[in-house]
Amino acid sequence: MIHRSPPPIAPIGVPPVRILLVEDDPLLSDSTARALRSQGWVVDCTERGEPVAVSVRQDPYDLLILDVGLAGIDGFETLRRVRAQGSDLPVLMLTARDAIEDRVRGLESGADDYLVKPFALSELVARSRALVRRNQARGGSVLSLGNLRMDLEARRAYIGEQELALAGREWSILQFMLSRTGKIVAKEQIIAAISNWDGTTSDNAIEVHVSRLRSKLEPAGLKIRTIRGFGYLLEEA
Amino acid sequence: MPLSDHPPSARALCARLRFDARPSIRRSLVLWLVLPLALLVPATAFVFYRLALAPALDSLDHALDGTALALERLVRLDNGVLSLVVSRELDSALRADRYDDVHWVALGPDGHVLAGDRELATLGGLPSAVDWRFSDATYNQQPVRVALHSWTCIPAAPGRAAAQCEARVSETLNKRHGVAQQVLAAAASAMLVEALVLAMMGWIAIVRSLRPVESLSKDIEQRSPEHLGPVDRPGIPREVAPLVTALNDLFARVVTASAAEKAFIADAAHQLRTPLTVLRTETELALLEDHPPQLEGLLRRLHIATTRAARLANQLLSQARAEHERHNSAMERFDLKQIASEAAEEWVARSVDAGVDLGFELESARVDGHGFLLREMLANLLDNAINYAGHGARVTIRTGASPVSPDCAMLEVEDNGPGIPVDQRERAFERFQRGNAGGTGSGLGLSIVRDITAHHGAVAELLDGPGGVGLKVRVTFAPARSKT
Repeated sequence: MIHRSPPPIAPIGVPPVRILLVEDDPLLSDSTARALRSQGWVVDCTERGEPVAVSVRQDPYDLLILDVGLAGIDGFETLRRVRAQGSDLPVLMLTARDAIEDRVRGLESGADDYLVKPFALSELVARSRALVRRNQARGGSVLSLGNLRMDLEARRAYIGEQELALAGREWSILQFMLSRTGKIVAKEQIIAAISNWDGTTSDNAIEVHVSRLRSKLEPAGLKIRTIRGFGYLLEEA
Repeated sequence: MPLSDHPPSARALCARLRFDARPSIRRSLVLWLVLPLALLVPATAFVFYRLALAPALDSLDHALDGTALALERLVRLDNGVLSLVVSRELDSALRADRYDDVHWVALGPDGHVLAGDRELATLGGLPSAVDWRFSDATYNQQPVRVALHSWTCIPAAPGRAAAQCEARVSETLNKRHGVAQQVLAAAASAMLVEALVLAMMGWIAIVRSLRPVESLSKDIEQRSPEHLGPVDRPGIPREVAPLVTALNDLFARVVTASAAEKAFIADAAHQLRTPLTVLRTETELALLEDHPPQLEGLLRRLHIATTRAARLANQLLSQARAEHERHNSAMERFDLKQIASEAAEEWVARSVDAGVDLGFELESARVDGHGFLLREMLANLLDNAINYAGHGARVTIRTGASPVSPDCAMLEVEDNGPGIPVDQRERAFERFQRGNAGGTGSGLGLSIVRDITAHHGAVAELLDGPGGVGLKVRVTFAPARSKT
């Protein structure tokens, strides 16, 4: 049985983010749901995995948060049934097991991310948000984060209503980063990704492009955090 | 890997230096074999000596007696008058002896000397002769053996009683001493050889029968603390077999008990996670939501305590898991650079939350190891660094060739936090030793790191951080085996 939460007061015209939480510990389910609702999201809860496949088909959820250790069919099986019906709903697995095989198994059976209990609230929220965004970006030809929108078909970017002028490589780099919102992108990944698009690029060149992007994105309230020696993380300031 | 309190070499050294008062099988075997031997061998030699000497002396006595008998034959009775005529040649024949001085005397019935050495007739302390008898005496200040022989020299006749004559022959003791010495030497050497052979055989028997016990204990002593498999020794003698069986039973029980204990710890830690997650989420929610300002401190402390408990549960679980992994999976080739890159996603998020600048300096560094354990080691190092270095700190993870030897792979995690004073660094590896700098550490992190490095034959060192500030943990791995 799915416990539906009352719809929050959301800005008109913006559909609220809807999350289905599958967790069989009532206490944990309750506090996790409250944590997610504090972000203005709509959270439905269920304790068992059996009804999940049907409800994700009926309701337009943005994210499924799935505990591995459920009574009845477990999280892996639930996920398998969801994926079996062709759903590409983002799935965040919650696991009390930190065995690497479990993570691998979860990701292989179609989870998009996993969190190990006990997790920090901020981490749960951050991961959920990243998954929701990636999902929303995946659908159409528009990538967005905060005020920033990238229209891939028209090859135009906007901050609010203001068009943002981007050089070729800046465009490629930003597109790559936006398509992986919430994830760290390694420099090597950027190089590999944009080299496919427009020839080879050096480490230093990437740094120059990123630093230009950084100042261009400032008005959008976006920040490119440098991960020393590794890569970048695009985040809302 | 837990180390025993005293290295075995030191223990062995001390054992050798002082007398060991504990009961010893070897000592009691020696006591019960060699001591009786030491008493019995001289006793046997003595009896042997006496038994062998007596017939030798008897035969010498009888030779002496022969001379006395010869004297009897020489005494004549003519018309009731006794006479003994000894020519010079006969006398020298009677006294002929290669080694000893021989003296003789023949006495008539009234004790008067018929012929021979008069001094012998007056020799005191001799028993009266009845037929024949031997005695020791002193003649001319020399100890002598005397044969006394009496016979009826005047037969009874009507009106006349029978009368006894006596012959005394003495000789010095040279032959007797010679015989005694020979017999003694024979007895002593035979017994000595016997004693030596017995002692040697006894020693060999003791050493041989104790050897299985010794090699068994050496075997067990040299085992690593983790090795609790049964003792398998095909050559174990029947007498030691019950001990081995008992030991194996004990090993089996210890293995079961320790497995049960580990399973319990893992299970307990596992079960703790859900309530800890609830507690943590609730405190974080409470901190986010409106709350009376006087509760702020309480909520913060509650949050710190919950975070610490959560980390402890995680580390207990990871330790149990590491233990399992150690015994149940084989080593593979890994690149530390790869492992560190994979950790980036998770740890960058955490360091951002903690206000720590996490950086990477990754070069390829190949090692043979267990993937889970290597990841776990890195996780604990990063967890420690982020925790203790605190807000605003710089933490750098570095992989590559060791600065000491280019053949060795190395992993470093350094921070510019408060560090650990040099004199406390060794202790920092012990379980539940937490640094002074507050933090939410559980005190298990570095102990897990040391267990894992020990298992990989690697070395973990605590060094000064960059520019002498903070802490740098360097793990140096043995060169990976060349593999094509």
